[in-house]
Amino acid sequence: MPIPDSVPILGIGWNDVLFIVFAGTMLGAGLLVVTMRDIIRCGLAMIVCFGALAGLYVLLGAPLVAAAQVLIYIGAISVLILFAIMLTQSKSAPVRLVFQTQAVPAAIASIVLAIVIALAVGATDWGAVVGPLHTATDDLARLLFDDYVLPFEVVSVLLLAAVVGGVFLAKRDGHSEDEAV
Amino acid sequence: MNVDVLIALIPALPIAGFAITAAIGRRLGKQAHWIPVGAVVAAWAVAMVVVFLTLTHAEPFGETGYDLTIWRWIPAGGFQVDVGFHVDALTACLLIVVTTIGMLVHVYSIGYMAHDEGYWRFFAYLNLFMFSMLLLVLADSWLVVFVAWELVGLCSYLLIGFWYRRRSAALAAKKAFLVNRVGDVGFALGIMAIFLSTGTLGIQDSLASLVGPGATPVVPIGVIAFLVFCGAVGKSAQFPLHVWLPDAMEGPTPVSALIHAATMVNAGVYLVARANPLFAAAPQVMVIVAAIGIFTAILAASIAFTQTDIKRVLAYSTLSQLGYMFAALGVGAFSAAIFHLMAHGFFKGLLFLDSGSVIHAVHEEQDMRRMGGLGPRIPWTYGTMLVGAFAISGIPPLAGFFSKDEILGEAFKSGFVWVWAIGALVALMTAFYMFRLMGLTFWGSFRGPKEVWDRIHESPWVMVVPLVLLAIPSALLGLVLGLPFGDSTLTQWLAPVFEASESTLGHEASFDLVGVDGVLILVSVTLAAIGIAVAWRLFGVRWLAFRRDPDPVRVEAITASSPATRFLYRASLNKWWFDDLNHLIFIELGGRLANAAWWFDRVVVDGTVNGLGTTVSSIGGGLRRVQTGRVQNYALGIAIGLLVMAGSFLYIAGR
Amino acid sequence: MSGSLDAYLILSGLLFSIGTFGFLARRNAISMLMSIELMLNSVNLAIVAFGAFTPALQGVASVIALMVIAVAAAEATVGLSIVIAIFRNRRTPLVDEYDSLRQ
Repeated sequence: MPIPDSVPILGIGWNDVLFIVFAGTMLGAGLLVVTMRDIIRCGLAMIVCFGALAGLYVLLGAPLVAAAQVLIYIGAISVLILFAIMLTQSKSAPVRLVFQTQAVPAAIASIVLAIVIALAVGATDWGAVVGPLHTATDDLARLLFDDYVLPFEVVSVLLLAAVVGGVFLAKRDGHSEDEAV
Repeated sequence: MNVDVLIALIPALPIAGFAITAAIGRRLGKQAHWIPVGAVVAAWAVAMVVVFLTLTHAEPFGETGYDLTIWRWIPAGGFQVDVGFHVDALTACLLIVVTTIGMLVHVYSIGYMAHDEGYWRFFAYLNLFMFSMLLLVLADSWLVVFVAWELVGLCSYLLIGFWYRRRSAALAAKKAFLVNRVGDVGFALGIMAIFLSTGTLGIQDSLASLVGPGATPVVPIGVIAFLVFCGAVGKSAQFPLHVWLPDAMEGPTPVSALIHAATMVNAGVYLVARANPLFAAAPQVMVIVAAIGIFTAILAASIAFTQTDIKRVLAYSTLSQLGYMFAALGVGAFSAAIFHLMAHGFFKGLLFLDSGSVIHAVHEEQDMRRMGGLGPRIPWTYGTMLVGAFAISGIPPLAGFFSKDEILGEAFKSGFVWVWAIGALVALMTAFYMFRLMGLTFWGSFRGPKEVWDRIHESPWVMVVPLVLLAIPSALLGLVLGLPFGDSTLTQWLAPVFEASESTLGHEASFDLVGVDGVLILVSVTLAAIGIAVAWRLFGVRWLAFRRDPDPVRVEAITASSPATRFLYRASLNKWWFDDLNHLIFIELGGRLANAAWWFDRVVVDGTVNGLGTTVSSIGGGLRRVQTGRVQNYALGIAIGLLVMAGSFLYIAGR
Repeated sequence: MSGSLDAYLILSGLLFSIGTFGFLARRNAISMLMSIELMLNSVNLAIVAFGAFTPALQGVASVIALMVIAVAAAEATVGLSIVIAIFRNRRTPLVDEYDSLRQ
């Protein structure tokens, strides 16, 4: 049987439902990332957040970006972060304090920031059209490798530099016991 | 010998003596007296020559005296001050007194201070004092007089506090200096007023320009005269600045004789006499001078009735006689004042040196209640002191009679009858307390410890000779200077100095021996005789044909007879509570004021300044906490700043 | 709701402020880095949202978003290496104990 145009009983469009689900997941996971005590669990919540974000990208008609999000963010960066957490665990007792002394002012600042952004967004006429426009992948490819090939190449050099720098910074050098760092 | 050199030598010799003694005196030990005494004797000799030349009107002195400029001290455009000397008859009279008594006191000190370890220091200070006093009487510029004025005050301080380890001496020296200073403020203001009004500080020039015809001074003449008189009040210990002189007896007796009887305290009298044109032009101030003078005379005489320290009696006696001199100046009898100055210098110097001899004989005992019956044991001292006592009581033909009578006569004839009346009463009181002193000291029986009585001896000749040499002028000076009556030798000498003022004041020289003046003389001699008789009755006498024992029971009875006499006795004993009054005003109240000012300075002024520093530093301390070193704190700051900016953009865009 | 640009932008703003709070308030350095990743992602969302609702930016937005992802990856790499290097020295991942600049 064909899927109805809108959710029965509630009468909301399917897109809106997905939007609400993904948005809620994203925000909830984000909150968990910044408030949970155990870092590993923060990392996992972050993965969930990224996943929800990928879903939102799909809703916005940018499937390639969604794919890149999943591959890179969830597949590489989150793993990297989890490795780093593993490497920086201290053997002492679990930390008592999760938040800094300035947590309360920080919270207030964040809330105000959200309000300011909301006001700014609401007050501006973006000249938007109705409905998300979907991007065709071959259009994207043409843009990426034709008009914007220079940034593309530069980013790859940047990644190389980042890799080299990361390796250098994090490696355990053999002389460290003798000389002062 | 050039007259200039002679005049310049007079102050130069003592200051050279001071310099040399101060430099090498300690090493000379017991021989330290030769140079200073030699300097003063030489200065006396030179001064006698100068005096002779002046008083005989030899060239270049002439009638009005001689001016000598040594050195241009301050050449500052409109303000010129020269150090120079003016020598006239008044200067000559002062020179006689200062150099003679100074020389005799120096010789006396050889014996009196023989056992003192500060021997060389004493003579150095004495020479410095001689220099200062001679500079004062010779100077021809108000500023130089002021400098010398302060210098004698300094020497007085040094000499009163000579035995500096004694607390009472140090305090007395400080008191003398401070009380003097009060008067000096007035004097300094007076000098400034003189300069403002005349543009010059030379004495003769400024006086001529102040009272000459057509003079319109910036400051009223009366004010200037009063201010100058303030200085005299301080230096000559008149009421209300009299409190330092009795305390000054803490110094050694030669000091008391020289400074506080014969020379320094006369500086005030000299000052007023020198500025006589100024005073003659301000009759109201003259009345003030006379009033203060005669009031001091009777005040001091009343205190002398009950004092038990031999030197204190003489100190109050000095105050009283100085009061006489100022009374004389106040009624316009300038040459009478100078006559009394000279006579008093001699017999008071004699009395003080005698008292020093007595103290020396009873081994440093100064309380008369522990003396008595000393007459036969110390004959030279006793004889000379008797001469002095008769002289000060005004018994003819001794010096005091002539000078005192001239003062009282002038007072009466000028219409100041109240001055005459009080002065006559003071004469009676003077005779009484002087012979009370004689009775307690020399007559009756000895009241001290036996060991002292066995060792009483006459003073060495070094001390006795000056006593005799002083007794001679005390006896004869009156005959030399005071005759003939009415236009005495001294008056003739001093005429060029004083006649202008005397004509301004409208005095005529007249004398009726068989008239007003004769009656006045009779009255004052009678009063003196009564005083002496009462003193003999109460305190004993053993002289010539008079013989009586002291009667302390009767003295007690008199002082306790009625509430009035009891009060007077207590008041006299407590010096009329003036010291207590000064203590209350200046130490208590002044101390409170000073404490309040100190509180204000500490809390408000220092508090403000320190508070500023503390505030800045605590603000800094507070601001320091912004630098936590933690990046997250800095990031919070960035976030807040960002929010503020965004908010304001929104706000501006929204309007 | 899913058809309005404003919703996506507000969503992006919320995620950004969540990330800001985490960055300013957490003690662990890795948490701070995770918060930074959240912020970058929120920006990414905004970019893609613009691309979806503005015809002129339709393909370009995706390109920009890809660049942002790449740069975020590089930055995460270097940041984590630094944290590991500091950890080796200080033995603690807590940033409030890295206060050598303190006065």
